[in-house]
Amino acid sequence: MTTRVRPRRGDPALGSIALVALGLYVLFIVIPVIMSGWKSLTNENPLLAQADFVGLSNYTEMTRDSDLAASLSFTLLLAGAVTIVANVVGIGFAMLLNRTSLSYRMMRTVAFLPQVLSGVVVGYVWRYILARDGILNNVLVSLGIIGEPITWLGSPRLAMFSVGIVAAWVLTGFTTVVHLAALQSIPVELYQAALVDGAGRWQRFRRITFPMLAPGTTISVTISLITMLKLYDIIAVLTSGGPANSTQSTALYIIQLAFTDNRYGYASAVAMLLLVVSIVIALSVTALLRRREVDL
Amino acid sequence: MSRSRIAPQVAPAPPRNRRAWTRKGHLVSAGLIILAFVSPIYLTIVNAFKTQDQIIRDPAAPPVPPTTQNLTDALARPDRIVQIGLTNSAVTVVVSVLLIIPLGAALSFWLSRRPARLRRIILAGFAAGLMIPPAVILLPTLRILTFLHLDHSYAGLILSNVGGGYLSFAVFVYSGFLRSIPGEIIEAATVDGAGTLRIWRTIVMPLLRPATATVAIFLSLWIWNDFMNPQFILGPLHGQTITTGLYLSVGQYSTNYAQLFGVMLLAAVVPVAGYLALQKQFIAGLTSGATK
Repeated sequence: MTTRVRPRRGDPALGSIALVALGLYVLFIVIPVIMSGWKSLTNENPLLAQADFVGLSNYTEMTRDSDLAASLSFTLLLAGAVTIVANVVGIGFAMLLNRTSLSYRMMRTVAFLPQVLSGVVVGYVWRYILARDGILNNVLVSLGIIGEPITWLGSPRLAMFSVGIVAAWVLTGFTTVVHLAALQSIPVELYQAALVDGAGRWQRFRRITFPMLAPGTTISVTISLITMLKLYDIIAVLTSGGPANSTQSTALYIIQLAFTDNRYGYASAVAMLLLVVSIVIALSVTALLRRREVDL
Repeated sequence: MSRSRIAPQVAPAPPRNRRAWTRKGHLVSAGLIILAFVSPIYLTIVNAFKTQDQIIRDPAAPPVPPTTQNLTDALARPDRIVQIGLTNSAVTVVVSVLLIIPLGAALSFWLSRRPARLRRIILAGFAAGLMIPPAVILLPTLRILTFLHLDHSYAGLILSNVGGGYLSFAVFVYSGFLRSIPGEIIEAATVDGAGTLRIWRTIVMPLLRPATATVAIFLSLWIWNDFMNPQFILGPLHGQTITTGLYLSVGQYSTNYAQLFGVMLLAAVVPVAGYLALQKQFIAGLTSGATK
């Protein structure tokens, strides 16, 4: 590749800036991916000072690794569930806020705010809310909805659910704005024609709004999935992957393998798996949703 | 939960004489839903201005009377974690973005003048960069930085920001935008004898200004909020950004909510203020990609 990417006659200077950019990208994306691929075939462990070529044994170990299976299924479940919830709520919010007056524009601004906060801040705010003596339990107990305070982050099931709610809360700002833009690009004539034909609200949503949102939904769903597949900061603060590893995403598992267990080789193999899973999901979901757009 | 939020839109159309009332009803219900949605942010703000006692007694109440003690306490910490964190984050963001913008724009313009096949291959490579989870390349990135003697340094953090996934985003925004610029403008300048670098500087960059705004706004936010890279590239002992500083300092506050909210408000105030100031450009940049 590098031999072909050469500045042509007449633009040496621009070409050299472009080459610097390309070089940095190769150095910090392409080479790291190749290095991960290579290290995944070794048993590198800096503590044991070993780095022998072990072939595919890391990959065969992955098939027997129940922690990996748990982290991968949690990651996929989280990505799927949060993508669906954030986009359904986002479409709902977009329709709710699709008016032009100042109050609605202000509400739109506010609804996007969770996206602006860092995952670390989000994690701490929600840890406070979800604590056993936290405000959520106080409200629910005082309303008589629950008798006993619930340990939202204390049991595996509930912790998984809580992480999902927090992630969906963050993503919904984004899905709302994208769907609002898509809503505003729908021609009014379509609704007028539907009204003439006597279509009710549900029919107008089902037959016009929802399909016309498709291009926005493609972007929104794809980016939601990619975001969730790499989710690290919110979980690191909220649960650190616990209790009992129940909320350990694959990204967290890679970090644990590399920095706690010092198993660089195996961590690299898991990284390669996450890389392949992420790219396959992103590409196939995009292709699928694009086809839906074309079908219209 | 989601279903009830859609309900106001799906409800049957009201008779004409009730229009004004339903308009108000819609506004009120939308307001309540959004208020519930952002209540965690409300809690952060009000509790930052309350004493520990007030927070525990009535966490959702407005701060009456408000106290700035939490903020002054946070700023008076002997380790100066807020001041140092804010400075370090600002430097990282500014230097990273000032490097990514010209590199991304120049590469995109240069690519736009290459044969279609080469351009497609390189752009596909950059698309992959958007999909790679940072955890996947973190370990080799640390090795490369160690090899360059830039590990545990801001130079290393900035360099990996510049070369990593953020550059993908810049190249994508710029490449998409360049497609909408008519080739004649650039050809005319070429005929006039301008070199490519000069055309890029004096003609293309000004035309790309809206794209530059999008790139600058989003990259600033992401780099400011980034946690994984500063946590591992800088390491715990080599100075903090505001996110890692918050993470390290907050452990001590597990029960001192007044202090926690004080530091958190100071950590969140820069991106939130930036967003509120630039929200028009922010939303425009976000949606131009979505409706393309």
